[in-house]
Amino acid sequence: MGLLSFLVFSPLIGFIVFCFIPKKEQTFIRNSAVVLHALPLLASGLVLFQFLDHASLAEKINWITFEIGEKVLGLHFELDVDGFSLVLILLTTLIGFLAVITSTWHINKDNRLFYQLMFLLQMGILGVFAADNLFLFFIFFEITLVPMFFLISKWGGTDREEAAFRYVIYNGLGSMILLIGIAAIFVLAGSTNYAEVQHYFAENGNPTLQLGLAFAFLLAFGIKLPIFPFHSWMVKVHVHAPPAVVMIHAGVLLKIGAYGLIKFGVGFFPDAFDSLAILIAVLGLFNLLYGAYLAFVQEDLRSVFAYSSISHMGIVLLGVSALNTAGIQGAIFQSVSHGLIAAMLFFLVGSLLARTNTTLLKKLSGLARLTPLLAGFFLAAALANLGLPGMSGFVSEFTVFLGIFKEMPILAAIGTLGIIMTVVYMLRAILNMTYGTYKSTYGEVQDLKASEVVPAVVLLICIIGIGVYPNAIGHMLQLTIETILGIGG
Amino acid sequence: MIYLAWLIPVVPFVSFLCLLWMRKAARSLASWFAVAASAITFGLTLAVFFASFQQGTFTQEWSWLTIGSIDITFGVLLNPLNSLMLLLVSFISFLIHVYSMGYMKGDSRISVYYGYLGLFTSAMLGLVLSPNLLQFYMFWELVGLGSFLLIGFYFYKNSAKQAAKKAFIMTRIGDVGLLIGLILLFWQTNSLRFTDIYTSITAGQVEAGMVTLIAILIFIGAIGKSGQFPLHTWLPDAMEGPTPVSALIHAATMVAAGVYLVAVMYPLYMASAIALTVVACVGAFTAIYAATIGLVQNDIKQVLAYSTISQLGYMMLAMGVLGYTAGVFHLFTHAFFKALLFLAAGSVIHALHTQNIKEMGGLNKKLKVTSFSFLVGALAISGFPLLSGFFSKEEILAAVWADGQYVLFFVALGAAFLTSLYMFRLYFLVFRGEPKKSLDHIQEAPIGMKATMVVLAIFALGIGYVNTPWFGTFLGDWLTEGASFLTGGHHSSPVWIMLAATIVSLGGIALAYYIYEGKKVDQGNWKQSFSGTYRMLSRNYYIDEFYELTFVKGTRGLGMAFHYIEMYVVSGMMDMIQGFFFSIGKTGSKTQNGQTQTYGAVAFLGLVLFMAFYIWKGGY
Repeated sequence: MGLLSFLVFSPLIGFIVFCFIPKKEQTFIRNSAVVLHALPLLASGLVLFQFLDHASLAEKINWITFEIGEKVLGLHFELDVDGFSLVLILLTTLIGFLAVITSTWHINKDNRLFYQLMFLLQMGILGVFAADNLFLFFIFFEITLVPMFFLISKWGGTDREEAAFRYVIYNGLGSMILLIGIAAIFVLAGSTNYAEVQHYFAENGNPTLQLGLAFAFLLAFGIKLPIFPFHSWMVKVHVHAPPAVVMIHAGVLLKIGAYGLIKFGVGFFPDAFDSLAILIAVLGLFNLLYGAYLAFVQEDLRSVFAYSSISHMGIVLLGVSALNTAGIQGAIFQSVSHGLIAAMLFFLVGSLLARTNTTLLKKLSGLARLTPLLAGFFLAAALANLGLPGMSGFVSEFTVFLGIFKEMPILAAIGTLGIIMTVVYMLRAILNMTYGTYKSTYGEVQDLKASEVVPAVVLLICIIGIGVYPNAIGHMLQLTIETILGIGG
Repeated sequence: MIYLAWLIPVVPFVSFLCLLWMRKAARSLASWFAVAASAITFGLTLAVFFASFQQGTFTQEWSWLTIGSIDITFGVLLNPLNSLMLLLVSFISFLIHVYSMGYMKGDSRISVYYGYLGLFTSAMLGLVLSPNLLQFYMFWELVGLGSFLLIGFYFYKNSAKQAAKKAFIMTRIGDVGLLIGLILLFWQTNSLRFTDIYTSITAGQVEAGMVTLIAILIFIGAIGKSGQFPLHTWLPDAMEGPTPVSALIHAATMVAAGVYLVAVMYPLYMASAIALTVVACVGAFTAIYAATIGLVQNDIKQVLAYSTISQLGYMMLAMGVLGYTAGVFHLFTHAFFKALLFLAAGSVIHALHTQNIKEMGGLNKKLKVTSFSFLVGALAISGFPLLSGFFSKEEILAAVWADGQYVLFFVALGAAFLTSLYMFRLYFLVFRGEPKKSLDHIQEAPIGMKATMVVLAIFALGIGYVNTPWFGTFLGDWLTEGASFLTGGHHSSPVWIMLAATIVSLGGIALAYYIYEGKKVDQGNWKQSFSGTYRMLSRNYYIDEFYELTFVKGTRGLGMAFHYIEMYVVSGMMDMIQGFFFSIGKTGSKTQNGQTQTYGAVAFLGLVLFMAFYIWKGGY
């Protein structure tokens, strides 16, 4: 078994171990959940070292082959990583680990099952990014749906069942379209291996067919990203799922949408995406502004962050639509950056909920007085979210706009309105909550404990690290972006 | 020594991190720690300044972000203009640090205060050292952050919260202009390095329309930061911050960064007559517009804030009429006398615990050093002969005249008159006349505050002599030497301009004396007969109300419109999709009715279909 297989299936170890722990051992369950979740984190660290060493990580086990006429078709177990997927894998293991730590403080119901589902979810996401063919990608993609459904419906807030239901319907719809697309590709190309598919479509395939497939991918991953008007499921999940789960949902799961759009959409069908560029750009622009303006009028902190996510995913779309190096790199940066920032915001939401039991803005005011640390981290996360230079959000937004201004300057200029609006809605929400006079409706709340500071600090260090020296990631991505855009490869 | 230039912004940043990390534990030592850090920064700056004085231009760069074949760098640049700014910023920052020891004494969040001050200083120094426009932009936003944090330092006050938010948003609006400008410029010149940009522009590689567009977009950034009309409304509100902060950020350094930006990008403006005219007109208009508002404010800091806006307009005007040296010179002198005025005002506030000038009066008996310092500052800003402001203002007026902008010349002259009028209104009302309240318990500021005021007063008196028509134009020569794009050096101005400037300045002072000291005019009567004008001026020409009605309400309205779309259209569609799957499920479950006849029928139908398909395709 190779390192990548170990990485992907390492959460399964935790799942199995947990089957044998008695339900009542609450403390033990919590502690071992954290320890076992460190496994994928360590494994991903090893993968990173191997990758930086230029060692090959690819694995292949023959699985299913069948012959139709003279064609030999195969569906195999193939894993590999490139810069893009590796960055997302690191994001997954880091946020997953921090989300589990957060859960140990806030989840008090059916602990064992909760962590088992978290293990499964983790495995699904890691598989999605480590897969090297569409078939395997799809299987892991489906695996993520199931634990997520239960995590929302069982541990969520007031409207949890509705949220879980919407989640499954929308994602199921996306999966269906994705499956049709993948099946069609399999029939045409005779393989679902990424490199082979890309090679096939570079040489063959009529433009109309490619356009159709590109559109199917746009739709399928657009639901995941999400693109207006397919976003309402995601708002529900943001608001009603437990904050620790939203850390993974907003931090990593939504990024599968960006990953699919860039790696499969742009990677396989560059010409078709070129003709769809205007459409994608308009959709991105609309997402950006629609999300921003809606975030401005929300009454609940979690809805503000939900619409903020929609707005920031609009920036990913804008980057994709530019179809040049800067645009794609910006979109990738934005995925990573937003993942970190969203995780930090929802970590803080979890800590806030544990103290005040509400995220309604009109009930929160002057928190900086009693909880200066919590307020300070909220402000730092908000600044990251509004793209302050020196933090990751700025690098991604700048790179995207650099790319899109080259291709569609007018549209890009309208998009810069979003840069102003993020400041408006983020400051409105955060300052309402932390500045002003203190309201004592929720009693004397305690500030963050020393241990509670850790996840916020880790995330903040990553955010600032990327913002101060973006080449730390940028160098890893150069080759991948060239491959995706078909430059020199 | 010059290789350590990158350390200059790092030192205050480390101080920021340490102070925030320790917070409560460091409360008693915070001020000493921060003052030491700023002293080290100033020392480093001095060393680097002299090194660059000898060595000339110096650049150091590291790779920062690679995007395909594009390589964006990070680094430091030293040339005459920015080493001058570097010195100015670190010196005034050091003085403010010292002054704050007295002013902020006893504040429970003093470590946070000094931490933010360090963050701001670091960002401002980073901005000045930037060798390329992107790095400049990044620090430009970070100084905005420092300003935002310090305006909102008294976070529990609702007014401070609103002011901080407003400052961030208004400057962000300007920043977007700068961002668009820099991206467009990048695709024109394929580089963001200042030197590369200069080369491309002066070689005429960018077409004229594009140059104008980019220059104006970048100027929008300067408008936001330097409180120029119409993005000026945040600056008076920014007075919510502690007064030393107003002196450092909202008078001497950050707000002048807009003027500095125009100076840094000067080749771009020189290549576009339209852009220059825009700069000049906006500057001149702001200068006179803010001065009129300054006449009627009753809050001592508000008067100074409008005065700052007006003086920044003056600098912009100079930039717009090819008076590069004049603009930078005025930036330089203004930093000293305006910081001095703010610190003196701070000393008054510290002693009286009020900012309302109607509650002051006769303070010169009790606050001797403060009163003297304020007088020096007021004389300097009014352009009283032989003080620093006199030389820089005269140079600006000369530049405007030399450029042939006669209308703007008289506007500038008018603004100069109003400046000395409102400054001496302030002086007479606050320091002269009869006290409104008992002054028995009033005490002069502690030694640290007094010392900084005296140092600044000395500079406000003498700093003008670095660039005079009589004793040599050292500053002008040095700036011109460093900037090859500047054609002419000092304008040999007609003597009558100097005379006119003097008359205007003295006239304003005399009128203020006549009204406020001599009490020759019934002010109540005046307010009655000009009540409309008075209200309009004191309410800032209703600009805030206008923005509230249009932009703020408009944004909210659009947000609500989207909200209704979200509620009815999107969720309606959502329900449809949901309903569709429900009905599939329902239909599906109906077939599972347990009746074998139905199952049989379905199975038979299926078989028929298969057969038909088989026959049609003629076997597989």
